[in-house]
Amino acid sequence: MALKTPEEFRQSIADLHLQIYMFGEKVDDYVNHPVIRPSINCIAMTYELARLPEYEDLMLATSHLTGKKVNRFTHIHQSTDDLSKKVKMQRLLGQKTGSCFQRCVGMDAINALYSVTYETDQARGTQYHERFKNYVQYLQDNDLVADGAMTDPKGDRGLAPHQQPDPDMYLHVVERRDDGIVVRGAKAHQTGACNSHEIIVMPTVAMREGDEDYAVSFSCPANAEGVTYIYGRQSCDTRKLEGNDLDIGNAQFGGQEALMVFDDVFVPWDRVFLCGEIEFSGALVERFAGFHRQSYGGCKVGVGDVLIGAAATAADMNGAAKASHIKDKLIEMTHLNETLFSCGLACSYEGVRMPAGNYQIDMLLANVCKQNITRFPYEIARLAEDIAGGLMVTMPSAQDLADEKIGPIVEKYLVGQCDTPVIDRMRILRLVENLTLGTAAVGYRTESMHGAGSPQAQRIMIARQSNINHKKELAKALAGVGKPWDKGKIKVPTAVSAD
Amino acid sequence: MTEEQQAEPVRRVKVVYCGGCNPHIDRSAVADALPADDPDVGPGATVHLSGCPRACASDHLLIMPRSEDDVRGAAGTPHSSDDPPVVVVAGELVDGVPTPAPELAPTITRKLKE
Ligand SMILES: Cc1cc2nc3c(=O)[nH]c(=O)nc-3n(C[C@H](O)[C@H](O)[C@H](O)COP(=O)(O)OP(=O)(O)OC[C@H]3O[C@@H](n4cnc5c(N)ncnc54)[C@H](O)[C@@H]3O)c2cc1C
Repeated sequence: MALKTPEEFRQSIADLHLQIYMFGEKVDDYVNHPVIRPSINCIAMTYELARLPEYEDLMLATSHLTGKKVNRFTHIHQSTDDLSKKVKMQRLLGQKTGSCFQRCVGMDAINALYSVTYETDQARGTQYHERFKNYVQYLQDNDLVADGAMTDPKGDRGLAPHQQPDPDMYLHVVERRDDGIVVRGAKAHQTGACNSHEIIVMPTVAMREGDEDYAVSFSCPANAEGVTYIYGRQSCDTRKLEGNDLDIGNAQFGGQEALMVFDDVFVPWDRVFLCGEIEFSGALVERFAGFHRQSYGGCKVGVGDVLIGAAATAADMNGAAKASHIKDKLIEMTHLNETLFSCGLACSYEGVRMPAGNYQIDMLLANVCKQNITRFPYEIARLAEDIAGGLMVTMPSAQDLADEKIGPIVEKYLVGQCDTPVIDRMRILRLVENLTLGTAAVGYRTESMHGAGSPQAQRIMIARQSNINHKKELAKALAGVGKPWDKGKIKVPTAVSAD
Repeated sequence: MTEEQQAEPVRRVKVVYCGGCNPHIDRSAVADALPADDPDVGPGATVHLSGCPRACASDHLLIMPRSEDDVRGAAGTPHSSDDPPVVVVAGELVDGVPTPAPELAPTITRKLKE
């Protein structure tokens, strides 16, 4: 099958008849639901851009499995060039959507599993890698979206999976059959899950003895029997139900997260990619997290571009654009944003070819990238709020603007720079609000903090690879640590006369 | 990347070093511990010796590809089983497998003789 059109994508998701619940009710026509539709538009954009020649270089790649052109989101990276193009593609999509466009998790999952299945087979004589390659080809041939499902609810964070009072706090195998396995549990915070054709499940932590049933990775169709989605609320989400685009800020696009529940779901063996090999769950977690930490060096940068543009436009519309401190704040925002991009590119250029044949990012630099992501978007958002002014959070509603009596008053007092129509000023301020406090802040702020792992997870990885002994040796060599000291050569410095 | 042919005439192992910007291992110590004149190591054996997992000495390959098929879409010169042995060291990885620093030279030596 060729690449899907955006319309074919929308229809294919509608055809899945997913079991989605929101506000305590089942949502049947989810592709047209006003809260969900903007997130579907985001993924549709990954299909749309792939069909345009001006974006093809980033959006398409040549499959190493078939030699055919595929959407890069289904591609296994074959070079450092592929790795850097991935980051650039993500920046592009962040710019086009101004939100989390959700298709990255699946791409990062397949790239992590590619090398881990290979290495598991080498060590254990299992058959996962061939299976997995077939599965990747299925994704590519049908141009599918896959959800990368790693994070379990985790219950008591101080207890291992098998020690939890409720065994379902981590997704686990409840039955092994001749034809496959049966799994139970849940995955939390699932980005784009209700927009996906397929789910790829991975363990969320390194497993130890006793955790064998929890060391499981597999894929299943998003509409597999027993899979239910409980849609996540986002800040200001019900504004999408008010029937006007103004107060939403970004009416076209948005992110999406869901709690995904597996109630005794059957998975045939040809879709099982890890089952009980506890020693490989840690590598899978690290590699998925590594690729996803690289991803943020692209997607958050693209959204950052939109926020910088919105802040600069707000300054124009406020009549403050010429002030030197405003210009300087825009420079600072740009500097922070491009620093994040540099990290995303650096870990790509320093990537390596794994024994499985795919390319993997440099782990240390990917973790440095994500550590910066846990901070810089917050500072960029702070500066955007500074530049935008308080109106972004105190502005009257669209209903007030539309009102016959109140509307003219709102129009009169919301005037900024005189050539700017009030409605446009309101639109740009609502966009700043959307990105810093509204629905898109879920992706731009809190996902920057916790997505792909909370900050401490990166610090552990950075510590492990920091090569501190080498640094100590460098310092000791220059300081002369361990050298014999010849007291006799000491002289009192003589004053140098001014003339 | 710099190539260094060992000075001693009997040395059979060619060592290709990375530039050494931030080594996690002592590359010279590893090279010095490799067999100098072991007849079990065939002529032309090569060790790509990088100080860290970025594998610059082997052009970012953690293992040398064995065939054209293996190298499809990737950088690097195809390496067939008839060619002299090639081992890739990237920090504490030998051919992509985690190997503690004290085990590096013995592991490389074993692989060169395989
Ligand atoms: C918007 C968004 C989108 C996401 N999308 C996805 C997705 O698509 N797929 C996916 O799989 N996951 C996704 N995630 C999940 C993300 O990976 C997790 O949020 C992250 O791993 C942190 O887990 P948690 O939220 O359960 O927080 P917690 O684990 O509860 O962490 C809270 C704090 O406690 C600390 N902590 C936790 N456990 C310990 C411990 N044992 N010892 C010491 N300190 C501890 C953490 O460091 C952190 O500071 C998403 C998250 C967000 C916010």
